[in-house]
Amino acid sequence: MGNIVVIGPRRSGKTTYLAALSYLPALRSRKGKDSNFKIQPLNDESRDLAENAENIIVEGATFEPTVIGDKLQSVDDLPYYSFQLQVKKGLLKKPENIQINVRDYPGEVFEKIADRNLSDEIHQEFIDECLMSDVNGCLILFTQWEHGTDKFYYRVMSQFLKLMDERNRTNNLKLAVVMSKCERGELWPGRIDPETDLFGIHLPRTKTILKDSLNSKNLQFYALSTFGVLHKNDPRPNRIDQAGSNGSESVLREPNSWQPYNLIEPLYWLSK
Amino acid sequence: MGVIYIGDRTAGKTHLALELANPQSNYVRVIHPDYQQIKSLLYDTNSQSTKPTEADKSFHDKYLNINVQLPTGNKEIHSDWLDTGGEIWRKYWQEGNPEKWQEFLTTIRQSEGILLILPPYRQLINNYPNPEEFITQKQWCNRFERWINFFKYDCPKIRHLLLCLNKADLFCNVQQEGNLLGYIPNRSRFNWQQRNEYVYQRYFVPIHPQIRELNQSISGLSVRFFITSIYNRNLLELPWIYLGSFLSK
Repeated sequence: MGNIVVIGPRRSGKTTYLAALSYLPALRSRKGKDSNFKIQPLNDESRDLAENAENIIVEGATFEPTVIGDKLQSVDDLPYYSFQLQVKKGLLKKPENIQINVRDYPGEVFEKIADRNLSDEIHQEFIDECLMSDVNGCLILFTQWEHGTDKFYYRVMSQFLKLMDERNRTNNLKLAVVMSKCERGELWPGRIDPETDLFGIHLPRTKTILKDSLNSKNLQFYALSTFGVLHKNDPRPNRIDQAGSNGSESVLREPNSWQPYNLIEPLYWLSK
Repeated sequence: MGVIYIGDRTAGKTHLALELANPQSNYVRVIHPDYQQIKSLLYDTNSQSTKPTEADKSFHDKYLNINVQLPTGNKEIHSDWLDTGGEIWRKYWQEGNPEKWQEFLTTIRQSEGILLILPPYRQLINNYPNPEEFITQKQWCNRFERWINFFKYDCPKIRHLLLCLNKADLFCNVQQEGNLLGYIPNRSRFNWQQRNEYVYQRYFVPIHPQIRELNQSISGLSVRFFITSIYNRNLLELPWIYLGSFLSK
């Protein structure tokens, strides 16, 4: 069983990612595709999320941001999504079954990490929960790569590493560092070797501090795309950007061509 | 927590709610109270029209139980329906009734979604003999500015704001628009993004600057645009179906 925390800045696509994950069984059965990984929502929360994926993503709308406030007052209010992950090991071998429990963190918690003194009680509580000893790993979703973001992510990650150290988690917490929304044209070719072609090129300082501070067995870089591209031979992003609060928000362009990329791999690695 | 349903006087709120409860529905059904019950509450049989909501009784606190049919099945929205009289927006009323005003603000701040019903403006009307009964575009924009300030300063935490330009039958072919924008689970012609873009670009042009301002000032808010009419079920139901996709069970 793996307890995993999903963190990342605001609008990095955490909730949409988890919703797509819950909706994968429906998506795959519709396409009639088989894969080495099979994922199944296990509890009410993850099943509700799959319904939301159908009502919101497939219908061309976007999720509301997960923020601290009304419904989410403390860590105890964070929904707990459980999944059953089945991994095929080969023709004659028995498939491996893993239960994964995932928590979706509000983006502001991640952004607040950069503030050195976590005076805010709620944020402190979220960080404590995130680095608790029964958490196997963190899925860290980055989304921006434009000039200047490396500096911000670097600051957040150096502080995060410090917090890990203070809680004796430096050598026993896995980090899957992910570039999300890789359907974007500038990023899509880099998905094949994300460590070199996404993080090495766009976020070099962030990559270096992580590699220097963590044991290589506890650190992996991934590329992920919840919406994917239109087709194998048509690498246009399967998304449309529309004006919304704080600039633009993205919706799924062609629900019938929806083919997410690399959703399960980072979770599987974290849960092992 | 529920949906709040507001708008200035004569925007047509009461009539919309009444028509929503009409048993001949597609995907949105009012389970409670029933049509006759709402009709008797709101409809003045002598004058053959809806009774204006009195400001003194600003909170006709009614329980509206709505069922929305979504691609994943039926979803029930339990909502408190607050039909506010127009006076509530006037300064003298707010100052004269501080307790009621405060109660009203509290209710709005706790709601998950807001449906703001707007009347059309004069220049938009092309299907009514006396367009001068409607306010001019300039007045309409000024009023909207007041709403913007209300949302910005009094409810900075709202998440879903649905702007419904009502009485669409007076300014467009509702049949045509209803067919285009209508919702059919899994087979709709437009998705939410396309519907929103279409209505926003076509009917909300005069307030584009204000919308941009609102988007910038309230983080996490999604503003969506609708046209509604009691004469077209497709258009009437859309905002509720949209809300149903987001609101809790």
